[in-house]
Amino acid sequence: MLNIYKRFWQVNWAEQWQYRANLVMYLAYWMVMPIVYLAVWTTIAREQGSVNGLTANDFAAYYLTLLPVDIITSSIVIHVLAYKIQEGSISNELMQPVHPVLTNTLTNNVAFKALNLLVFVPLWLVLVLLFQPHFTYTWQSALLALPALAIGFFTRFLLDSCVTLVAFWTTRVWSIQQFNDAIGILLNGAFVPLALMPAWVQTIAQVLPYQLGASFPTLLLLNKLTPEQIALNYALGIFWVLALLGLFQFMWKRAIKQYSAVGA
Amino acid sequence: MHINRVLSALLKINIQQELAYRTDTLINILTSAMWLGWELIGLSIIFSNTNSIGGWRAGDIIALLGVFRLVNTFMMMVVWPNTEKFNRGIREGSLDYTFLQPIDSQFMVSFSRIVIWNVWNLIIGVALIVAGLSMTSSTTSFAGVATFLLLTFSGGVVIYSLWVVLIALTFWFTKFDNNVTLMQALMDAGRYPATIYPTWLRVIITFIVPVALATTVPLQALRGELAWWQIALALLVSLLAFCVSRLVWKAGIKRYSGASS
Repeated sequence: MLNIYKRFWQVNWAEQWQYRANLVMYLAYWMVMPIVYLAVWTTIAREQGSVNGLTANDFAAYYLTLLPVDIITSSIVIHVLAYKIQEGSISNELMQPVHPVLTNTLTNNVAFKALNLLVFVPLWLVLVLLFQPHFTYTWQSALLALPALAIGFFTRFLLDSCVTLVAFWTTRVWSIQQFNDAIGILLNGAFVPLALMPAWVQTIAQVLPYQLGASFPTLLLLNKLTPEQIALNYALGIFWVLALLGLFQFMWKRAIKQYSAVGA
Repeated sequence: MHINRVLSALLKINIQQELAYRTDTLINILTSAMWLGWELIGLSIIFSNTNSIGGWRAGDIIALLGVFRLVNTFMMMVVWPNTEKFNRGIREGSLDYTFLQPIDSQFMVSFSRIVIWNVWNLIIGVALIVAGLSMTSSTTSFAGVATFLLLTFSGGVVIYSLWVVLIALTFWFTKFDNNVTLMQALMDAGRYPATIYPTWLRVIITFIVPVALATTVPLQALRGELAWWQIALALLVSLLAFCVSRLVWKAGIKRYSGASS
């Protein structure tokens, strides 16, 4: 099994290098909105001294931590999988004796991310120099955050995969994905630290899987969570990974049963 | 007039194309309504924590969001779809047919594809501007509104000119098919007043990808923050930008040779 992943990794890593010229552009896309939100909230914090106890520096540290976290946990499943389903080219992969999504698509995602991070790190260092936030990382928080990042990645990957599988039934999968994205940005802490949301929204955001891919690892890295909160989020994380994996397997079985390629 | 007749024919074709996908149109409108809701929820969260951002109150920001939506809709309705068509034309050689037509090639490359359903977004944009302005207590004069409209238009011209230059560069560098990605990425920064951004970002969106010229600047004029010479300068810049883009386009098409030629 490990060999299969190794092979898929070699193929996908080589494939991602083809698009290296697009990387900087792609990252620019990725970084503009967080920097805009960062500017909005630091401006407000500076005018008032603080927002709900958060200073300008807190916001800078938050968003500049969120950026790499978001890249690490992000998924591009729908972009690589939806068109294969719609055009029928997934048929080739269905012939292989391995699960196409959990091998090929998964390694493709990781390869994309790895190459992105290579280009991202220097850009991030420039941003850190420009904003000069005071980070409150410790090596304990970094160690604790590693599994959280893995959980964050798998929740996002599996949730996006479930959304993408809808493509087996309808061509409107992109609208569903946009809807999912909109809820995600609002409730995962990318738009604003969840602490600034009304209490009832915070409760909803806490239970839903979205925050596991952004807010939780970020706050964990910054040492802003109590041990109880960390435990709760880990428990929720494990629950969501298993639940989404179950949902994904259920949808996958149904999907390939009724799948027939274009022209069949 | 020649151009007017062509434009109305193009509109007709594009409306027919839109009508062929009625469900898509409906879903697009619903999705855009959802994003509007998203933006308003976002603003309500911001303004539940503060009264103003860098001196801009809720009404100002909503009006700015309206102007941003106008500019962004222009991009989604005309600029991005035509970029896609242009890049495909370069790659596959179908651009040849555009040059064979007895009409200005820049006009055809810019306006042959118009995504009609976006008219809905234009309406929303205007509604947001009106709503935002009526929320701010300051009375707006007729001259103020006229300057505002003129500056929005001239800002749009600057962005359009930059776009023409970017796609014309493809004539020199054929592989430059992500010519507008950076521009697309930076558009989003137009949602909030450029004055709150750190200097480097403000410089980028004012001078390099001048989104701010079409979003923040017109509203600043409406808020009475600009001197007459600044307004004149903005207009002059847009005129210059248009002339430069025209020259670059003319020089570019001389270099064009069809794919595989």
